[in-house]
Amino acid sequence: MNIIINGKTEKLENVRTIEDIVAHYDLLAKPIVVEADGVVLTREQWASTDVREESRVELVHFVGGG
Amino acid sequence: MTQPDTWQIGGRELSSRLFLGTGLFPNPYVQQEAIRASGSEVLTFAIRRVNLSATEDDSILQHIEPGQFTFLPNTSGARTADEAVRIARLARASGLSDWVKVEISANERTLLPDPIETLRATEQLVKEGFTVLPYTSDDPILCKRLEEAGAAAVMPGGAPIGTGLGILNPYHIGLIVEEAGVPIIVDAGLGSASDVTQAMELGCAGVLMNTPVAKARDPIGMARAMRLAIEAGRLSYLSGRIAKKKYATASSGYDSLKLT
Repeated sequence: MNIIINGKTEKLENVRTIEDIVAHYDLLAKPIVVEADGVVLTREQWASTDVREESRVELVHFVGGG
Repeated sequence: MTQPDTWQIGGRELSSRLFLGTGLFPNPYVQQEAIRASGSEVLTFAIRRVNLSATEDDSILQHIEPGQFTFLPNTSGARTADEAVRIARLARASGLSDWVKVEISANERTLLPDPIETLRATEQLVKEGFTVLPYTSDDPILCKRLEEAGAAAVMPGGAPIGTGLGILNPYHIGLIVEEAGVPIIVDAGLGSASDVTQAMELGCAGVLMNTPVAKARDPIGMARAMRLAIEAGRLSYLSGRIAKKKYATASSGYDSLKLT
Protein backbone atom coordinates (compact mmCIF):
# COMPACT_ATOMS: atom_id res chain seq x y z
CA MET A 1 0.00 0.00 0.00
CA ASN A 2 1.03 3.64 -0.36
CA ILE A 3 2.17 5.26 2.87
CA ILE A 4 3.55 8.77 3.24
CA ILE A 5 6.72 8.39 5.26
CA ASN A 6 8.70 11.49 6.25
CA GLY A 7 6.81 13.43 3.59
CA LYS A 8 7.49 11.00 0.74
CA THR A 9 5.05 8.46 -0.68
CA GLU A 10 6.47 4.93 -0.30
CA LYS A 11 4.98 1.75 -1.74
CA LEU A 12 5.31 -0.93 0.94
CA GLU A 13 4.09 -4.53 0.79
CA ASN A 14 3.20 -6.71 3.76
CA VAL A 15 3.01 -3.95 6.36
CA ARG A 16 0.06 -3.81 8.69
CA THR A 17 1.34 -1.94 11.74
CA ILE A 18 3.80 0.79 12.63
CA GLU A 19 6.10 -1.90 14.00
CA ASP A 20 6.17 -3.53 10.53
CA ILE A 21 7.24 -0.21 8.99
CA VAL A 22 9.99 0.36 11.57
CA ALA A 23 11.22 -3.19 10.98
CA HIS A 24 11.11 -2.67 7.20
CA TYR A 25 13.64 0.16 7.56
CA ASP A 26 15.70 -1.86 10.05
CA LEU A 27 15.18 0.73 12.79
CA LEU A 28 13.85 -1.46 15.60
CA ALA A 29 17.10 -1.24 17.54
CA LYS A 30 17.51 2.53 17.03
CA PRO A 31 16.36 5.27 19.39
CA ILE A 32 13.67 6.66 17.11
CA VAL A 33 10.24 8.17 17.73
CA VAL A 34 7.19 7.65 15.52
CA GLU A 35 4.20 9.85 14.82
CA ALA A 36 1.34 8.22 12.91
CA ASP A 37 -1.44 10.32 11.41
CA GLY A 38 -0.66 13.16 13.80
CA VAL A 39 -0.43 11.05 16.96
CA VAL A 40 2.87 10.60 18.78
CA LEU A 41 3.29 6.95 19.75
CA THR A 42 5.12 5.26 22.58
CA ARG A 43 7.19 2.26 21.59
CA GLU A 44 4.61 -0.03 23.21
CA GLN A 45 1.96 1.27 20.80
CA TRP A 46 3.85 0.42 17.61
CA ALA A 47 2.60 -3.16 17.34
CA SER A 48 -1.03 -2.23 18.00
CA THR A 49 -1.18 0.80 15.68
CA ASP A 50 -2.44 -0.13 12.22
CA VAL A 51 -1.57 1.82 9.10
CA ARG A 52 -3.93 2.43 6.21
CA GLU A 53 -3.61 3.50 2.59
CA GLU A 54 -2.22 7.08 2.59
CA SER A 55 -1.33 7.01 6.31
CA ARG A 56 1.15 9.76 7.20
CA VAL A 57 4.05 8.46 9.26
CA GLU A 58 7.00 10.42 10.66
CA LEU A 59 10.15 8.65 11.84
CA VAL A 60 12.35 11.04 13.79
CA HIS A 61 15.42 10.92 16.02
CA PHE A 62 17.80 13.14 18.00
CA VAL A 63 20.56 14.86 16.02
CA GLY A 64 23.29 17.27 17.04
CA GLY A 65 21.96 20.74 17.82
CA GLY A 66 22.26 23.70 20.12
CA MET B 1 33.32 29.68 48.47
CA THR B 2 32.85 27.32 51.36
CA GLN B 3 29.66 25.56 50.26
CA PRO B 4 29.02 24.13 46.78
CA ASP B 5 27.46 26.71 44.47
CA THR B 6 24.70 24.57 42.96
CA TRP B 7 21.45 25.62 41.33
CA GLN B 8 18.18 24.01 40.32
CA ILE B 9 15.99 23.60 37.27
CA GLY B 10 12.78 21.62 37.33
CA GLY B 11 13.70 19.98 40.62
CA ARG B 12 17.11 18.87 39.31
CA GLU B 13 20.22 20.06 41.11
CA LEU B 14 23.04 21.19 38.83
CA SER B 15 26.67 21.94 39.58
CA SER B 16 27.75 23.00 36.10
CA ARG B 17 26.45 26.28 34.66
CA LEU B 18 27.28 25.42 31.07
CA PHE B 19 24.71 23.85 28.75
CA LEU B 20 26.47 22.50 25.68
CA GLY B 21 25.04 21.96 22.20
CA THR B 22 25.97 18.85 20.25
CA GLY B 23 25.98 20.17 16.67
CA LEU B 24 28.88 21.05 14.37
CA PHE B 25 31.68 19.15 16.14
CA PRO B 26 34.37 17.83 13.78
CA ASN B 27 33.90 14.22 14.93
CA PRO B 28 32.39 12.19 17.80
CA TYR B 29 35.71 11.80 19.61
CA VAL B 30 36.36 15.55 19.80
CA GLN B 31 32.75 16.09 20.83
CA GLN B 32 33.03 13.58 23.66
CA GLU B 33 36.29 15.07 24.92
CA ALA B 34 34.90 18.62 24.66
CA ILE B 35 31.83 17.61 26.68
CA ARG B 36 34.12 16.15 29.32
CA ALA B 37 36.35 19.24 29.39
CA SER B 38 33.35 21.56 29.65
CA GLY B 39 32.04 19.81 32.76
CA SER B 40 28.55 20.20 31.28
CA GLU B 41 25.69 18.18 32.76
CA VAL B 42 23.05 19.30 30.24
CA LEU B 43 23.33 18.61 26.49
CA THR B 44 21.09 19.99 23.78
CA PHE B 45 19.88 18.20 20.66
CA ALA B 46 17.58 18.83 17.72
CA ILE B 47 14.84 16.54 16.40
CA ARG B 48 14.94 15.63 12.71
CA ARG B 49 13.49 13.07 10.32
CA VAL B 50 15.50 9.86 10.02
CA ASN B 51 17.28 9.68 6.66
CA LEU B 52 15.60 6.57 5.25
CA SER B 53 18.20 6.12 2.55
CA ALA B 54 21.01 5.84 5.13
CA THR B 55 19.49 4.28 8.24
CA GLU B 56 22.77 2.62 9.17
CA ASP B 57 24.16 6.07 10.08
CA ASP B 58 25.27 6.43 13.68
CA SER B 59 22.79 7.96 16.05
CA ILE B 60 24.27 10.89 17.97
CA LEU B 61 23.20 9.15 21.16
CA GLN B 62 25.63 6.30 20.50
CA HIS B 63 28.47 8.65 21.33
CA ILE B 64 27.01 9.99 24.57
CA GLU B 65 27.54 8.09 27.81
CA PRO B 66 24.02 7.20 28.93
CA GLY B 67 22.69 8.31 32.31
CA GLN B 68 25.39 10.93 32.76
CA PHE B 69 23.50 13.89 31.33
CA THR B 70 20.18 15.67 31.26
CA PHE B 71 18.99 15.94 27.66
CA LEU B 72 17.53 19.23 26.50
CA PRO B 73 15.94 18.69 23.07
CA ASN B 74 15.14 21.87 21.15
CA THR B 75 12.25 22.63 18.80
CA SER B 76 14.44 24.16 16.10
CA GLY B 77 12.75 24.10 12.73
CA ALA B 78 9.44 25.19 14.25
CA ARG B 79 7.93 28.41 12.93
CA THR B 80 4.79 28.37 15.05
CA ALA B 81 3.78 27.38 18.57
CA ASP B 82 1.83 24.40 17.23
CA GLU B 83 4.89 23.07 15.39
CA ALA B 84 7.04 23.53 18.50
CA VAL B 85 4.51 21.66 20.65
CA ARG B 86 4.46 18.81 18.12
CA ILE B 87 8.26 18.53 18.14
CA ALA B 88 8.32 18.68 21.95
CA ARG B 89 5.85 15.79 22.16
CA LEU B 90 7.98 13.73 19.78
CA ALA B 91 11.07 14.47 21.86
CA ARG B 92 9.37 13.45 25.08
CA ALA B 93 8.07 10.21 23.52
CA SER B 94 11.71 9.13 23.21
CA GLY B 95 11.58 8.56 26.95
CA LEU B 96 14.91 10.37 27.29
CA SER B 97 13.75 13.67 28.76
CA ASP B 98 10.76 15.82 29.61
CA TRP B 99 12.83 19.01 29.29
CA VAL B 100 12.37 21.08 26.16
CA LYS B 101 14.03 24.18 24.78
CA VAL B 102 11.36 26.12 22.93
CA GLU B 103 12.96 27.54 19.81
CA ILE B 104 10.72 29.17 17.24
CA SER B 105 12.49 31.16 14.55
CA ALA B 106 10.57 33.65 12.51
CA ASN B 107 13.31 34.73 10.12
CA GLU B 108 15.84 32.49 8.43
CA ARG B 109 18.52 35.15 8.10
CA THR B 110 18.60 36.14 11.77
CA LEU B 111 16.99 33.05 13.35
CA LEU B 112 15.60 35.46 15.94
CA PRO B 113 12.86 33.95 18.08
CA ASP B 114 9.21 34.81 17.48
CA PRO B 115 8.21 36.20 20.89
CA ILE B 116 4.46 35.69 20.55
CA GLU B 117 4.66 32.09 19.33
CA THR B 118 7.33 31.36 21.98
CA LEU B 119 5.01 32.55 24.76
CA ARG B 120 2.10 30.51 23.34
CA ALA B 121 4.20 27.36 23.08
CA THR B 122 5.55 27.85 26.61
CA GLU B 123 2.03 28.16 28.04
CA GLN B 124 0.87 25.00 26.26
CA LEU B 125 3.93 22.89 27.11
CA VAL B 126 3.82 23.89 30.79
CA LYS B 127 0.17 22.72 30.79
CA GLU B 128 1.33 19.38 29.38
CA GLY B 129 3.85 18.92 32.17
CA PHE B 130 7.10 19.63 30.35
CA THR B 131 10.06 21.36 31.98
CA VAL B 132 10.13 24.33 29.61
CA LEU B 133 13.18 26.47 28.84
CA PRO B 134 12.25 29.04 26.19
CA TYR B 135 14.93 30.63 24.01
CA THR B 136 13.75 34.20 23.64
CA SER B 137 14.64 37.79 22.75
CA ASP B 138 16.48 39.81 25.39
CA ASP B 139 13.36 41.77 26.28
CA PRO B 140 12.90 42.17 30.04
CA ILE B 141 9.10 42.27 29.95
CA LEU B 142 8.85 39.26 27.67
CA CYS B 143 11.24 37.27 29.87
CA LYS B 144 9.06 38.04 32.90
CA ARG B 145 5.95 36.97 30.97
CA LEU B 146 7.62 33.65 30.10
CA GLU B 147 8.45 33.12 33.77
CA GLU B 148 4.82 33.87 34.70
CA ALA B 149 3.74 31.32 32.08
CA GLY B 150 5.62 28.69 34.04
CA ALA B 151 9.02 28.46 32.35
CA ALA B 152 11.52 26.59 34.53
CA ALA B 153 14.28 28.90 33.27
CA VAL B 154 14.31 31.69 30.70
CA MET B 155 16.99 31.85 28.01
CA PRO B 156 17.45 35.25 26.36
CA GLY B 157 19.79 35.45 23.39
CA GLY B 158 23.00 37.42 23.66
CA ALA B 159 23.12 37.84 19.88
CA PRO B 160 21.76 35.88 16.90
CA ILE B 161 22.60 32.16 16.87
CA GLY B 162 26.08 31.31 15.69
CA THR B 163 27.26 34.91 15.28
CA GLY B 164 29.75 35.02 18.15
CA LEU B 165 28.96 38.71 18.60
CA GLY B 166 28.69 38.37 22.39
CA ILE B 167 26.11 40.08 24.57
CA LEU B 168 24.81 42.94 22.44
CA ASN B 169 22.64 44.40 25.19
CA PRO B 170 24.19 43.81 28.62
CA TYR B 171 21.84 46.44 30.08
CA HIS B 172 18.81 44.32 29.16
CA ILE B 173 20.38 41.07 30.35
CA GLY B 174 21.14 42.77 33.68
CA LEU B 175 17.54 43.97 34.02
CA ILE B 176 16.21 40.51 33.14
CA VAL B 177 18.34 38.95 35.89
CA GLU B 178 17.25 41.60 38.43
CA GLU B 179 13.57 40.88 37.78
CA ALA B 180 13.78 37.11 37.52
CA GLY B 181 12.48 34.53 39.95
CA VAL B 182 13.80 31.65 37.83
CA PRO B 183 17.32 31.01 36.45
CA ILE B 184 18.34 33.16 33.49
CA ILE B 185 20.56 31.43 30.94
CA VAL B 186 22.15 33.39 28.09
CA ASP B 187 21.55 31.27 25.02
CA ALA B 188 23.05 32.04 21.61
CA GLY B 189 25.49 34.53 20.18
CA LEU B 190 28.37 34.07 22.62
CA GLY B 191 31.81 33.85 21.03
CA SER B 192 34.56 33.45 23.57
CA ALA B 193 35.48 33.11 27.23
CA SER B 194 35.14 36.85 27.90
CA ASP B 195 31.49 36.79 26.75
CA VAL B 196 30.79 33.93 29.13
CA THR B 197 32.45 35.74 32.03
CA GLN B 198 30.37 38.82 31.26
CA ALA B 199 27.15 36.77 31.33
CA MET B 200 28.08 35.41 34.74
CA GLU B 201 29.10 38.84 36.07
CA LEU B 202 25.66 40.12 35.01
CA GLY B 203 24.20 37.54 37.37
CA CYS B 204 23.05 34.92 34.89
CA ALA B 205 22.65 31.41 36.29
CA GLY B 206 24.25 29.82 33.25
CA VAL B 207 25.03 29.94 29.54
CA LEU B 208 24.08 27.73 26.60
CA MET B 209 26.40 27.47 23.64
CA ASN B 210 27.35 25.27 20.75
CA THR B 211 29.13 27.00 17.85
CA PRO B 212 31.85 28.80 19.85
CA VAL B 213 33.05 25.49 21.26
CA ALA B 214 32.38 23.17 18.31
CA LYS B 215 33.87 25.49 15.67
CA ALA B 216 36.86 26.71 17.68
CA ARG B 217 40.28 25.72 16.31
CA ASP B 218 40.62 23.49 19.38
CA PRO B 219 37.14 22.62 20.65
CA ILE B 220 38.46 20.68 23.65
CA GLY B 221 40.64 23.60 24.77
CA MET B 222 37.76 26.03 24.22
CA ALA B 223 35.37 23.85 26.24
CA ARG B 224 37.78 24.03 29.17
CA ALA B 225 38.19 27.80 28.67
CA MET B 226 34.44 28.23 28.87
CA ARG B 227 34.24 26.20 32.07
CA LEU B 228 36.96 28.33 33.66
CA ALA B 229 35.31 31.52 32.39
CA ILE B 230 32.08 30.53 34.11
CA GLU B 231 33.93 29.84 37.33
CA ALA B 232 35.75 33.20 37.20
CA GLY B 233 32.66 35.20 36.22
CA ARG B 234 30.48 33.56 38.82
CA LEU B 235 33.03 34.12 41.61
CA SER B 236 33.46 37.72 40.50
CA TYR B 237 29.67 38.22 40.63
CA LEU B 238 29.36 36.65 44.07
CA SER B 239 32.34 38.61 45.41
CA GLY B 240 30.96 42.03 44.51
CA ARG B 241 32.97 44.16 42.10
CA ILE B 242 34.01 47.74 42.84
CA ALA B 243 31.91 50.56 41.45
CA LYS B 244 33.09 52.25 38.26
CA LYS B 245 34.07 55.90 38.70
CA LYS B 246 35.48 58.70 36.65
CA TYR B 247 38.69 59.67 38.46
CA ALA B 248 41.69 57.89 39.94
CA THR B 249 42.19 56.73 43.52
CA ALA B 250 45.78 56.07 44.55
CA SER B 251 46.20 52.63 46.10
CA SER B 252 48.59 53.91 48.74
CA GLY B 253 46.89 57.15 49.65
CA TYR B 254 47.90 60.53 48.19
CA ASP B 255 50.22 61.58 51.07
CA SER B 256 52.56 58.69 50.35
CA LEU B 257 53.60 60.36 47.09
CA LYS B 258 55.28 63.28 49.02
CA LEU B 259 58.90 62.61 49.94
CA THR B 260 59.69 66.08 51.42
